Amino acid sequence: MKSVVTTVIASADAAGRFPSTSDLEAVQGSIQRAGARLEAAEKLAANLDNVAKEAYDACIKKYSYLNNEGEANSTDTFKAKCARDIKHYLRLVQYCLVVGGTGPLDEWGIAGQREVYRSLGLPTAPYVEALSFARNRGCAPRDMSAQALTEYNALLDYAINSLS
Amino acid sequence: MLDAFSRAVVSADASTSTVTDINALKAFVASGNRRLDAVNAIASNASCMVSDAVAGMICENQGLIQAGGNCYPNRRMAACLRDAEIILRYVTYALLAGDASALDDRCLNGLKETYAALGVPTTSTVRAVQIMKAQAAAHIQDNPSESFAGAKLRKMGSIVVEDRCASLVAEASSYFDRVISALS
Repeated sequence: MKSVVTTVIASADAAGRFPSTSDLEAVQGSIQRAGARLEAAEKLAANLDNVAKEAYDACIKKYSYLNNEGEANSTDTFKAKCARDIKHYLRLVQYCLVVGGTGPLDEWGIAGQREVYRSLGLPTAPYVEALSFARNRGCAPRDMSAQALTEYNALLDYAINSLS
Repeated sequence: MLDAFSRAVVSADASTSTVTDINALKAFVASGNRRLDAVNAIASNASCMVSDAVAGMICENQGLIQAGGNCYPNRRMAACLRDAEIILRYVTYALLAGDASALDDRCLNGLKETYAALGVPTTSTVRAVQIMKAQAAAHIQDNPSESFAGAKLRKMGSIVVEDRCASLVAEASSYFDRVISALS
């Protein structure tokens, strides 16, 4: 899993040297920024279900045709799966906040995403709408500190970009 | 390869839940500078640690440097010093990451079999690793023994906290123990 620390170790290992001063400085920089990330991760974890529910409701409201017979949100099973998918993206965002990089989203969310949605015939626009809703819903300092919100929004933007 | 953060993520993903134990990670962040000091203390003294550990191993077992011994001739002694440095380097990586996966995947995996095939005596290797473990503890505590070091006494001089980084000493020791159990 790619993070600042593992990248530093991988390059030190490739050169066969002990961690150098600049390696340690890179790690220190990442640790100093970790406070905001962890705050966002903590707040998101505490409210994940609500955030996911609101995002899901928002996208179904915008794309109400999804409730029609035969569409992706037509039955209870389908509804549960849609809600689960949104929650899945938010969980990966939380992982990225913990790791401090986009590794979890890249490896577990984005890799193969296009192929899966194409073969299942799912539209990506509702996902974009759901994540955009979450992106615009967060508010500092009500939900988390401004710095934490910046980190959180940047990752949501990253996920939105991957879907659009 | 994982670090403390990605380890938390991988184990949370196994149960498709969010990472809930954020406090452990906050503690990791809070003591981050201590960890970096510990890594720096080992990395800056690495060549000295390695040569002392190998010299100590040989002192206790002179047969190693006599004809037929595994540190004879120089070519094999050089290989021995190189291996000790490699092991110490991966332990340092593990300490930096706060996770043993770099050590396990890149160093220990297959090491025992390699040594068996090459006829390297693991008891001697383990002894050198034990000496490095004691040295690493002394360097992280920044508390080298004056009676042993004498004129060569060297302190890193970083501000050492009250408990002399006991948790980091324990963590580093656990990585050395990992090496020892992988070899024996």
